[in-house]
Order: sequence, then structure tokens, then C-alpha cells
Amino acid sequence: MSTADLPLSGIRVIDLTVVWSGPGATALLGDLGAEVIRVEGNDRLSRQVSSKVTKASFEKTGYHGGTYPEKDPGERPYDRSALFNWHARNKLSASMNLDTPEGHRAFLDLVRVSDVLVENNSNGVLEKLGIGHERLLEVNPRLVVVRMPPLGMTGRMSDYLGYGPNFNSLVGIAAMDGYEGEDPDSAGENYHMDEAAPAGVGFAVLAALWDREETGGGGLVEFAQAENVMAEVGELFLDHQLNHRDPPVLGNADPWVVQDVVPVAGEDRWVAVTVRDDRDWRGLHTVPDLGSDPRLPGPDAGDDVRRSRSAEICAALAEWCADQEAEDVVEALQRAGVPAAEVVSEPQLLDDEHLAARGWWRERSHPAIGTHRYPGHPWRSDDLDLAFGRPVPGFGEDNEHVYLTVLGWSREEYDDLVARGLVTDHQLA
Amino acid sequence: MADHESHQVLSGVRVLDLSRWVAGEYATKLFADFGADVVKVEKPGEGSLTRRWGPFPDDVPDPERSALFLHLNTNKRSVALDLTDQADRELLLGLVRDAHAVVESFRPGHLERLGLGPDVLRALNQRLVVTRISAFGQTGPRRDHEASGLVLQAAGGPMHATGQAHRAPLRKPGLLEHYTVGRSAGQATLAAVLGARRTGRGATIDVSGQEVLLAGADRRASYLLSASYSGITAPRGARSPHRHGATFTGPFRAADGFVMVYVTNQAFWNRFVHLVGAEDQTFRERFLDRQTVAGQDREDFLAHVADWILARPKVEVMEAAEAARIPVTAYLSVSEVLAHPHFRERGAFVAAEHPRAGRLEYAGPPWRMERGYRLRATAPLLDQHGAHVRREAARQTARETEEATA
Repeated sequence: MSTADLPLSGIRVIDLTVVWSGPGATALLGDLGAEVIRVEGNDRLSRQVSSKVTKASFEKTGYHGGTYPEKDPGERPYDRSALFNWHARNKLSASMNLDTPEGHRAFLDLVRVSDVLVENNSNGVLEKLGIGHERLLEVNPRLVVVRMPPLGMTGRMSDYLGYGPNFNSLVGIAAMDGYEGEDPDSAGENYHMDEAAPAGVGFAVLAALWDREETGGGGLVEFAQAENVMAEVGELFLDHQLNHRDPPVLGNADPWVVQDVVPVAGEDRWVAVTVRDDRDWRGLHTVPDLGSDPRLPGPDAGDDVRRSRSAEICAALAEWCADQEAEDVVEALQRAGVPAAEVVSEPQLLDDEHLAARGWWRERSHPAIGTHRYPGHPWRSDDLDLAFGRPVPGFGEDNEHVYLTVLGWSREEYDDLVARGLVTDHQLA
Repeated sequence: MADHESHQVLSGVRVLDLSRWVAGEYATKLFADFGADVVKVEKPGEGSLTRRWGPFPDDVPDPERSALFLHLNTNKRSVALDLTDQADRELLLGLVRDAHAVVESFRPGHLERLGLGPDVLRALNQRLVVTRISAFGQTGPRRDHEASGLVLQAAGGPMHATGQAHRAPLRKPGLLEHYTVGRSAGQATLAAVLGARRTGRGATIDVSGQEVLLAGADRRASYLLSASYSGITAPRGARSPHRHGATFTGPFRAADGFVMVYVTNQAFWNRFVHLVGAEDQTFRERFLDRQTVAGQDREDFLAHVADWILARPKVEVMEAAEAARIPVTAYLSVSEVLAHPHFRERGAFVAAEHPRAGRLEYAGPPWRMERGYRLRATAPLLDQHGAHVRREAARQTARETEEATA
């Protein structure tokens, strides 16, 4: 199947997203064959990275430097950062300053010939630029406009500022996150709200396009990211109504099964193990040198007994694991049908034979970056050849295509914008 | 008119849910809540695994009152079919003829062993989408590995980098990873269903839970690309490894709970210094406009902030900070979220009566759109729609046979 046959082939998406959750969402639309055009001002940071970043400027912050190839931001740091490039596959980049009359006009021209727009700016930002969704739908009634305010477009907290960990805290997730029996602040930070949005936005856009086939019209999708992630604790909202309790901080434990993360041989190496049910429990008893541990309740012990003696079981497990290599532990447990995996680090995943056999990593090249392997798609199908073309659009790399071909502006008009610095192939900020 | 009003974006779409656990059931819940007719095919007498998982009222197991099942199966119909029985398999095939998608999450190979592999199903309906959810995918050396949510996070999530340095890696709480996998499976399924509408051809989709998590926007994918670019491993226990400059982030204890402080730039920093140093000019002069604080400066700054926050209730801290345009939020418990006027005024919870569980408020629309989310029906009792669905299936098979012999 060719790219022209993908579910969103022929669909054009305007990408006004920044940071994590929004760009993650538009990446999924590009995978499906949509032409995703990032509209980026040259006078502001649209990629979390300043053009002024140098190798020297992050000497004190070791990890940040490592997000660049060979730890070198180079001449075009905004083309080379993993913070941006993890989601940049297939996307196009056009330089357009929405706060200038020329940029505004170009943008509305783009709206006229597009199908979808996704944005995750703070409430009110688009309105200040005169491009709120009412205006956009007036210009193009077939447009599907997705807005992603974390707490929605209405309500007393809708103007609250925050990042992923802030909104996690407002939806009940942070309060149950942490080491077992300790306070929830022991968890540090978790970015789950960012992870939850992309596929939800993907589903919403697909549903709106499905509906457009019937009705002919687009419309607004108000994607309150906090409410999207609230569905993931839906059973706990019911539990509170049924049993008048809030979920405790459980760490790596679980109320219904016996499980833990235990250290194995080597520096900072860990294995996760779960005994879900009677079958797993009987399996654990067949593991050489572990099944015979006198601390374990017998193979016929029910789940009540197992849960009440969870600490002893985990202690026996930890002792058995302590001097063994991770892969031997996982192998022995999996042979007995017991769920187990190493807590893998990134370099291990780059060398992982299972992912290699499935061809998950994709090696791609770009002149500003060189040749590297990129994380693959979240799902696959032999019947749909999901797009994975150019790994990253250099800033403004598609200016000519967008202005001349997509918008149909004349060469003279375009050259004038370039001459006046309104359209550039590099970021100024 | 009534028809028009009840029309939702996915009305007319038919999905068969063969899954028995959270990911598959969440994938099909998205379809059902936005209008699709989702038929849940359950094991006779036992039903979905989520019926056996808690929480239950008073912690007494009851397959019709599992909070997990009630939440995940709104707007679906239930039919009990024994897939090892020839007659029931024929009924399932009758339903397949008329479906847009089948979602399953058996162990890889199980559907084939039942004689219901994707080739068999798609031969009956060339537009059919078959979505297969598993822990490690349908191929590869680890395809038959067993997994739990914890194991999946270890293999796919950013767990190596979460928790504290020198302590065990810490998973995300609850069942979040299963929901994440399910949402992706839902997105994949709808993409292929839309594709089938355009091309007339369905698809078989392989959703590996591990790969969904590896591609995640919770920093996992960016950590992986960083490793690919420079060989670096994201450290555990270092807050915000992605940022530099005037940053000050993390949880703090308030008088009655916790708050999450997220000061990430110079403007936030200065506002924060003004807020916590409102009554301390020396403090303000010392810390305003600073790019970084280290050593004793950092210790003093931390101590001042910790004391200031500890002296106030969490919501008061949040409201004062937010009024000053600083990202600081309170840790709300599940019950506080349920009662919060912001969410109540937005209608984030929707009440409905279930014949066995009574009246409950369910987490409502994950997003808002015209003809979007509606709670039309609470989760089905086991085989509640059995007689009706069986008649539909038989009718469909008869029609096809007639056409074939005509």
C-alpha cells in the first residue's frame, strides 16, 4: 500500500502546538498520511530551544546537553534537539509570524485550504491574535479545530497555569503516586498527562473527520487534557462513591496482586515481577531455588493468603534475585509463566533483540543532524504502511512549498517577505 | 427529530469487543461513548476479567458491581458466547460480517487456535479491522512473554528514570499504562476504520503495549532519542532533567497536603520570589533576578519556600500562586476532584442508574465536540443483550447465505 492510500492521505493539518502533548498528537496524524504543517514564528521559541544555545551554555546541566547529537547543539540547535525531534517525523515547517499582518494573512489563507488545526496554547492566546476558533470556522466551516486547554475553556480553574505534573496533581493521580506507605511527594514528578493526550486527540480528530463525511461540516473539539486523563482513574471515582475512600499510595505494590521491583546483579539493575493469579503462583513454585523457599505459602495458597503475606514473598524473591543477572531472572520466571521484565534503560533498548526483530527503530538522516535511529510508531499494521519519512523539518525548511504551492502566493510576494525578514529559514529567537 | 438529537459522531459504527482486560475495554469504550454500537462478547458464566477485579462495594466480589467493569463498559451491549463451541463461533462470525472492527487482547496465537484468526474474519468482511492488543506484539522473540501492568512499565515506560536516585524505580500508580495502551488501540482502530471507508479494505493491527509506551510523550520517546543521539541515560531522581536556567520544581508539603511547584523560567521565578518573600525584603533582594541558585543559597531558598508553603493550606497556596500567575497546584485526592466546583460546573461527571450498582457518577466526556460523548446506558449485565444479539447474528448469517446461493 502506498502512502497515498493511508487513512489521512489528502488531509492537511495546521500544527500550532508546542512542548509535549500537542506535538505528540500531530505526529500521530502525520503517521496516518496527513500533511502536517508546523507554523512557527521566527521570533519566538516554538521548539523549546533557543538559537543561542551553545555547547558551553549547558556545561552545568549534564543531561540537557545529551539531548543533542554527540552533545553538540551545533549551528542550528533548534533542528537538533531530542526534545523536539522525537515527535517531528513527517512534519513540514513554515516560518510565519502570526502577530504581523503578513503572517496573519498567510495563516488565514492556510486555514482556507486545510482540514484540521491543532493547538495547545494557553486559553486566550489565539483570541489575542484574532484567530480564535469562531473566526477560523467562519473562514473555513469544514475545519476541525482542536484546542487543548489543560482544564478546559470554561470553569473557575481554566486559566490556571501549569505543566504536566501540575495537572496530574489536580486530577487525583499525584496524590496516589509515591513509594508504598510514604507520602505522595516521594514520587517526584510524573508526566502522565502528556502521555495521555496524543492518542485521545488522534481519536477525536478521526471521529470528527468521520462525522464530516456525513455532515460536511467541521467544528470545535475542546480537549481538556485533565478530563481526558481523569478517565484513567474512573474506577476510583466509583470506588469513592461505593466505599467512601481515597486510593492509598502503593508504590510498586498493588491491592489485588503480589508484585515488586527488586534489585539484581550489577549497578542499578532491577527486575519487575508480578504474581497475578493462581496459575502464576503455581508457576512461581516451579522456579528452581525459589519455589522451595520456606517463606513462600504453599502452591495452593489463595490470593487472600498471598496478599497478606506479600512482604515475605517479596523478600524471598528479592533474595533469590540478588546475585543473578537480570536476563537469567526474567528467563527463569517467564519459563514458569510468571510475568517479569527488567526495568530497562535507554541504551539497552537500542540494542534490544525483540525490538530489532520487529524493526521498531527507524534509521533516518537529515543534513542538520546526521544519521541516527529514531523511536518507531506506537502501533503497526501490515496493511497500512504508516509514514516515516523525513525525521525532522529544519526550521523553515518547507517555506517555499507552503507559500508558493499550498497557498499559491506569487514568487514576488514570497521574495518580499524573505527580503523583509518575515520569512526565514532559521530561527531568530 | 429524536433521531437527529440522538445521533452521535460514531453512530452506525459497529465494534465487537472480544477483549477481557482494561486496554481492550478502554479502546472500545471510546467507540461506545461516542455513539458506536459495541457488542461485548463475554465468556459464559464468568464474563470479562474486569468483572472479577475490584474495587467492589464493601470489597465483596460481585461480577455485576465491579467499579472497573462498570467504568469501562458504559454504552456497550453484552452477549455471552463460548468461542470453543461451534454454534457460538458461527454466531460470532455472523456478527463479524456486519462489523467495522473487532478488538481482541488474547495471548498471541489464541484467536488462530480457536479458528478465528484475522484471515478467517477478514475473509467474511473485507472492510473489517482486526485490532490485536498484546504485551509485546504478535511477532518477535518475546511475543509469548507474560506481562502485568508493572512489567509493561518496566519494559516500555520511563520507569528507569522515575522515582528517587538510589531507590527502586517507581511505577506510575493505578492502571494508567493499560489505559494508555487502550487509547492507542482505539486510535489505531478508528484510523483503520476510516481508511477502510476510503479504500474499501480493512486491516489487521498489531498493538504491542511495550511499543505504545516506548513511543510515549511522558518523556519516554524523547529519552530514547537522546540516548540514540548521544548515548545518554536519563537519570532517576533528578528533577526536570530537560531544563536549565531559573528552574525550581517539585512537590512541597502544605499544612494539609501537598502542592506541585513548577517554576521554569525567569518570569515565574521572580513572581515566586515576590509571593513567598512578600514580607521579607532581604529575601527578595537576595533572590530576585537570579538565574540559578546553588550551595548555601539553594539551601536557604528551599528552607524559606518549604516553611512558607507548610504554613498554609494547599488550596490557599495554589490560589495565591495562580493569582500571581505562577504554576503551583494542589494535590487533590480522588474525592476532592469529584467534589471540586470547577469539574462539577463543567459537567465532568455524569450520573446514571445501574440495576445492580445503583446511582453513580461516572467520569464523563474525555473531550467535548458536537454530537460527542453521551452516557446512553450503564455497563451491561452479563449476557444482558444475548437473545437480541444472537437473533441479529443469525439473521446476518442467513442473509449472507441467501446472497451466496442466489
